Amino acid sequence: MTPETDKNSAINSKISRRDFIKFSLALGALASSGLVIYRQWKKYIRPEILLQKSSASTSVFIAKIKSYSEDITSRLLSGFKELGVTESHIKNKRILLKPNYVDTLTGADHINTHSMVIGAAIDAFFFLGASSIVIAEGSGNCRDTFLMLEETGLIEIINTYKIPFIDLNYSDCFPVRNSGHFSGLPIFVLPNELKKVDIVVSMAKLKTHHWAGITASMKNMFGLMPGSFYGWPKNVLHYAGIENCILDIVLTVKPHFAIVDGIIGMEGDGPIMGIPKQSGVIVMGHNPASVDATCAMIMDIEPDKVGYLSLASSIIGPIADNNIKQRGENIKDVQTKFFLCDHIPAMKRLRET
Amino acid sequence: MPENFVRLCVYEILKRLLPDGGFALFEKGNYRPDATAWAILSLESLNKEATVVDHARSRLKEDQDKDGRISVQKGLSAAYWTTSIAALAWHGEPAYQEAYKLSINFLISTFGKSSPKKSYIGHDTTLKGWPWIEGTHSWVEPTALAILALKSAGYEKNYRVTEALQLILDRQLPHGGWNYGNTNIFGQELRADSYSTGITLYALAGSIDRKDIQKSIGYLQKRVEKDRTPLSLGWEIMGLCAWDEYQISFDKYLIECWNLQKRYGKYNTSFLSIILLACAMLFNHTKPL
Repeated sequence: MTPETDKNSAINSKISRRDFIKFSLALGALASSGLVIYRQWKKYIRPEILLQKSSASTSVFIAKIKSYSEDITSRLLSGFKELGVTESHIKNKRILLKPNYVDTLTGADHINTHSMVIGAAIDAFFFLGASSIVIAEGSGNCRDTFLMLEETGLIEIINTYKIPFIDLNYSDCFPVRNSGHFSGLPIFVLPNELKKVDIVVSMAKLKTHHWAGITASMKNMFGLMPGSFYGWPKNVLHYAGIENCILDIVLTVKPHFAIVDGIIGMEGDGPIMGIPKQSGVIVMGHNPASVDATCAMIMDIEPDKVGYLSLASSIIGPIADNNIKQRGENIKDVQTKFFLCDHIPAMKRLRET
Repeated sequence: MPENFVRLCVYEILKRLLPDGGFALFEKGNYRPDATAWAILSLESLNKEATVVDHARSRLKEDQDKDGRISVQKGLSAAYWTTSIAALAWHGEPAYQEAYKLSINFLISTFGKSSPKKSYIGHDTTLKGWPWIEGTHSWVEPTALAILALKSAGYEKNYRVTEALQLILDRQLPHGGWNYGNTNIFGQELRADSYSTGITLYALAGSIDRKDIQKSIGYLQKRVEKDRTPLSLGWEIMGLCAWDEYQISFDKYLIECWNLQKRYGKYNTSFLSIILLACAMLFNHTKPL
């Protein structure tokens, strides 16, 4: 992987037709129908959603859950209640659950969002009146999605609940203007499934990450980007800068809610080759920056040391402890130091004084 | 391999045929060049549906850019990884010779992004193969598919193929398998996956010495005992058979894979085509690509 970043390529917030053409030409990508594509994304307006604007404070709920055999559904429902998510917000809504399925290894609970957490979320959203739920993911490494569904046990959840699973890597797509402007990518190509749902939930895994430092609800949004257009791995995003793209994708997609599975997380050389870390939590909230900052604190990492969170604090949501209203458990009661690899620069800087 | 199994596969693929001659990934889906190219290759490998195949080739040509590339979606042509499969789909057909040559020329003149060697990356980043998406690094699968396309055009000795073979061997994991194309990052060896290994072994057949891939064959022989998903199993069988490692049980495995659609839902056209291509290898004992 060669995550070269081009941090000088931020563009103006207004993208003109000329900018689009320039971008396309730069990629050698403008075909005769390029203007048709331009018109498509110009017309697309993402429905406004629940993402809390960068405000003085946000709320995040922490549930202490020791194992995947516990009653996770009732804890999620408690979290919804504490965060003010009621039936009125969910009733008759179409929900898209975006788990983190990146690689597969039979019996490994620490790599991907656990199927029991996804099952619990399905129960909870249906309990609150959701009209439909889909699970959608575009794995960044493993192209054999069926193998991942099998080895993670998610196939049992899908078949038990009769919930559709969408492999986003092969979705029909639409181009949309990048609302973030950190990465220099003028457009994103997004899966059509996003147009067919009302609420997008990032169902992430609590892990260290050898390029981004940590990965939680925001980095998880990389999986929405179809491999057909971003590659395996999603190298387009690496070249444009991982941290920049994390921000741009979140600002463009605007996920409504985050649920992070930290019951068993990953420490060391994440997000794939690290080792299991029993941290015994689920973290949830509306604001992805505040949720991820809470996750960082649980991992005993100062949020402002995480590059993407530091950038997110001024535009997506607060990351400082005193600006996040913690519901449920206190951070100190669940905090557990995640092992970071000193030889990996993105991790080393997380605990430097 | 029972003939009725093949008929079932063909029937399922034909359900995705669109009025314009192209194929979708699923029934009632939209046109996809990758689905179309894989459908052409698989149907042709068993001499099925010649008229459909010809129309599909024609549909595939409609979206070819002037520089020869075929991209996943017209107008978003940075995603040109489909060019190699399209080239293979046109190969050997006089009516599509021009489209074929254009696509081969495009591949010859297109490189994945290289960079100076880095201490924390295990593979040689200076070697050039092909990327999935324009402007990004070279990865194993698109490089293997481009090797197949160029070999079909008689470019076995071209420096692009020679360097690509070097790249592929450089990305081989110590136990013989391949993954998407990273061997070791920050001192940590990564895991292999069987479909990447299968595609790679298939592309390497006839180009390198068997001793270089003996461990890879061993890796796939273990995996083929347990994997029943179409992408993995299909390429495992094709990779092994390309090196004459046929097993009687492969027929049975493919049928088990087919039956798993009850569990997983319908396979997409590309996956069905891989199954059919594997069937063709078992029938004919020759490489269909």
